[in-house]
Amino acid sequence: MFVGCIARQPAAAQADSDTTNRLTNTVSLSAVTVRAIAPERFLAGQKIQRIDSTTLLQFRFASLTDVLALNTPLAFKNYGPGQLATVSFRGTSANHTAVLWNGININQPNLGLTDFSTLPVAGFDRLAVQYGSASSAVGSDAVGGSILLGNSPSWQPGIRLTAGQQIASFRNNQTQLGAQYASPLGANWKLSGKSLIYRSQLNNTYPYTERQNYFLEPSTTAQRGLSQDLYFLHRNGRQVSVHVWLTDNDLIQSPQDTLARERTQTQSARWLATYEADRTTIRLGWIRDVLDYAKGNINNPSHTQTDRFISRVEREFAFKSTQNYQLTLRAGGEWSHYWTRTDGYGGLLIEEDRADLYALFRFQTTRWLLSANVRQAFVTRFNPPLTPSLGAEYQLLQHKRFTLTGKGAISRSFRVPTLNERYWVGLGNPDLLPEDGLNLEAGLATAGALSEHLNLMAELTAYRNRVNNWTYWNPAVNYHVENLQLVVARGLEVTTGLTYRQTAWKAGIRISYAFTRSSQERAYDTYSQDILGKQLVYVPMHSGTLNAYIQRGQTRLSVQMQANSRRYTTFDNSQFFKGTLLTNVLLEHTVNWRFMPVRIQGQVNNVFDTLVLGVKRNALPGRNGAINLIINFPSHIQ
Amino acid sequence: MKKQWTKSMVVGLVALSVWNCKTSDPEPTPYESGVFILNAGNFSSNNGSVSFLSRTSQTVATNIFQTANPSLVLSGGVQGYTEVNGKGLILVDNNTAGQDKVEIVDYATFKSLTTLKSPDIENPRQVIQVGPNKAYISCWDVSGDFSAGTFYKDPGYIAVVDLNTRTVTKKIPAVKGVENMVVAGTEVFVGSNAYSGSNTLMVIDLATDAVKERIDFGSTPEPIALDANNKLWIKAGKDLVRVNPATRFVEQRLTFSATPGSVVISTDKQAFYYTLSGKTYQISINATNATGNVLIPRSFSTLGVDPQTKRIYGTQNPLLYTQAGYVIRYESSGALVDSVKAEIAPSGFYFR
Repeated sequence: MFVGCIARQPAAAQADSDTTNRLTNTVSLSAVTVRAIAPERFLAGQKIQRIDSTTLLQFRFASLTDVLALNTPLAFKNYGPGQLATVSFRGTSANHTAVLWNGININQPNLGLTDFSTLPVAGFDRLAVQYGSASSAVGSDAVGGSILLGNSPSWQPGIRLTAGQQIASFRNNQTQLGAQYASPLGANWKLSGKSLIYRSQLNNTYPYTERQNYFLEPSTTAQRGLSQDLYFLHRNGRQVSVHVWLTDNDLIQSPQDTLARERTQTQSARWLATYEADRTTIRLGWIRDVLDYAKGNINNPSHTQTDRFISRVEREFAFKSTQNYQLTLRAGGEWSHYWTRTDGYGGLLIEEDRADLYALFRFQTTRWLLSANVRQAFVTRFNPPLTPSLGAEYQLLQHKRFTLTGKGAISRSFRVPTLNERYWVGLGNPDLLPEDGLNLEAGLATAGALSEHLNLMAELTAYRNRVNNWTYWNPAVNYHVENLQLVVARGLEVTTGLTYRQTAWKAGIRISYAFTRSSQERAYDTYSQDILGKQLVYVPMHSGTLNAYIQRGQTRLSVQMQANSRRYTTFDNSQFFKGTLLTNVLLEHTVNWRFMPVRIQGQVNNVFDTLVLGVKRNALPGRNGAINLIINFPSHIQ
Repeated sequence: MKKQWTKSMVVGLVALSVWNCKTSDPEPTPYESGVFILNAGNFSSNNGSVSFLSRTSQTVATNIFQTANPSLVLSGGVQGYTEVNGKGLILVDNNTAGQDKVEIVDYATFKSLTTLKSPDIENPRQVIQVGPNKAYISCWDVSGDFSAGTFYKDPGYIAVVDLNTRTVTKKIPAVKGVENMVVAGTEVFVGSNAYSGSNTLMVIDLATDAVKERIDFGSTPEPIALDANNKLWIKAGKDLVRVNPATRFVEQRLTFSATPGSVVISTDKQAFYYTLSGKTYQISINATNATGNVLIPRSFSTLGVDPQTKRIYGTQNPLLYTQAGYVIRYESSGALVDSVKAEIAPSGFYFR
């Protein structure tokens, strides 16, 4: 029953999978337990992009913003290095992307979004991007798409220690210390675990105060974090796992001025325990998000604290499983309780319950893959809509060395309003209607071997996502939140990749282009005539990425490029930032130093010194570099 | 040696051709006559601009500083503008400390001559001419947190700019939230922002660029203008107060039902225009009570009076500063002329 799931992964994208990934799959296959997260299996017809482990290793000292910006068409609204970065996925707003960590949504609930600058790539093992609405499988926020972060165990026995250090331009530096371990526990159980602590200090000591007459904003960011995973696997496939991820991000803008400096401290503690047995999964989680903001006297911040207790029970049923047909149902329920104490809500403790019931069907034949899902969410004093979705994939061509798949999906989406939208004193609106989204998409995907050494993949997707009752902080009624806007996003995404493998040489190139046309379509006041049909701000109409590498033995040279057309900065499109092309070059080499593999990465970012502007019209830094060292101390118990 | 010779030859030729261009083809002066619209931009987007509107046109030339200086940017809200001896001074307010500036441009071409930056300039509020080659720029200095009471640094200062050397020659410590300045003879009367909490009316001696006197005004003074009789008018809360600048005595106090907005003096300096409770009024400088005549049955965020045509310019902004605002023109009789789309948050005029 797992064959289909694995076979769906494009050959080219998997070419670089490391041993850890393969091991995971092997374990999953041998144990009759379903470990994949629902959205990766139950959204037939929708595009999913898995970022391979080699890429994640290259971005090991980067934030989630960087890896996504250079590998996907996601557009970021970036305030500066180490500062707030929010996403626009397929022309939607920052509230319309679900960020899942091991299957649970970790968007900050007061703002209903994730600041991608606070999530370092080192904190997770797997990264996938699920395109399009996926509310039926994911729940709230999955309107434009979802980012799936996950951790996975390595069962190779022994203890392996890793130390990493980055020294970068502008007196910036980072340190990571980690351990990965696995061992049998008695006759029936075995343990696998991973611990990582990391710190980074961005001093941003630029040798210039302006670039092409645009000022750079002085700011410092200190980041600390801990990630801990433990897996206990029984011989019969039962598994208990615990994941912890603590992040602390301390940003100070204008640190040089004691009166004007601003401090934003974001802290999150995320705990998740999972029990998987046979076909049942039980998850219990607790997340605390703290947000402190202060200006001038930075020790007296305004405080936001939100706690969530999350519980989820899922069971998978295999109705009919033959060689030719498999029908699977995954049904589940979820209940969460929220506590928030926020200065802006009057400082009172506000509580609410959220619950979901869902059923996900998956039907697979040799040529067809169909999914039909339905979800109903329940939220205190709020009425989310029933959210169904339907998707299909059909193998139009099945050759020994070549496949062509046609895809299509239709899905409704919803978003539970943010806590700010509901509870902010005087502005929040407890009577908000749910936003109502309908996403249609269709595509073609192909993968094949052009020769013994050369593989090709290509995917073409077109979509239309219409979101009605889009919320708007309406200045006409003192910035009270109202369901005023209607946003229609349509677009086209093309990706093609070519990989070459020979005994000594490896090379690959992946080129992606996205066309995104997203506009507000409803008039609601006198002046909205000027913004009707205009492209949403900070969403480039054209964007593209190019990733190429060439590798011989343990040496690899990579080029990463990201281009986008103009980004409008005003709703009436009267002002814009010019289009930009960013290029990074990365040279990596692994040497064996006293039997220890030492990975050395040298990177030059923004090679051509392109001027890119942040949201506040400040210049982002020009050409800069970093040297990364990752030492893997060998295992002593082999 | 030969290389050097070639180099000097090339330099000479380039210089000659540049000089040639200069002599045979004078720079066009597209902004010789018309209205400069000062756009404050959206908060924290730092996207203010100066637009130019010809008196006979219904479309503005956008961001004329950028047009004249393609490699430069304003990067902030435009807070004020005035001209001194053929040079324009554009006050630019960025929301990040240390990034405010004053662009000094050639008044006819808008080409940048120099830029005054931090720490000389920090939160510039108003610029006035105080001599043939001298300007005063009131500056709040660095802003802190409003709720913590550190928003207005105490004191703010006035930057003295010498337009010959194009430098700030002195910073005169002023009052908290220093803002409006009006020249009366050899003195400048200086007030503060209405929310600053400062009640001091400061007098500066133009000869020495030094503070001459600090008068406790009872409430926050916002000097407006000198009238036809050379009397100084000051807005103070709901009041318009007429002061004899020589004796410093209050001669008249008009108390309105609410704080009058966008108070500007008419071209002949015999009356004021102001907005109150959704209407635009006119009141004579000789009025003895605060009842003006309704001129336009609506109000504006900013008013301006064109001295050439006596037309009244009002600004109307959409509810969010994320799209362009409008400038609406009226005859001095109050008859509507037209409405012109400007840029983001038009909030000031300079008529030439």
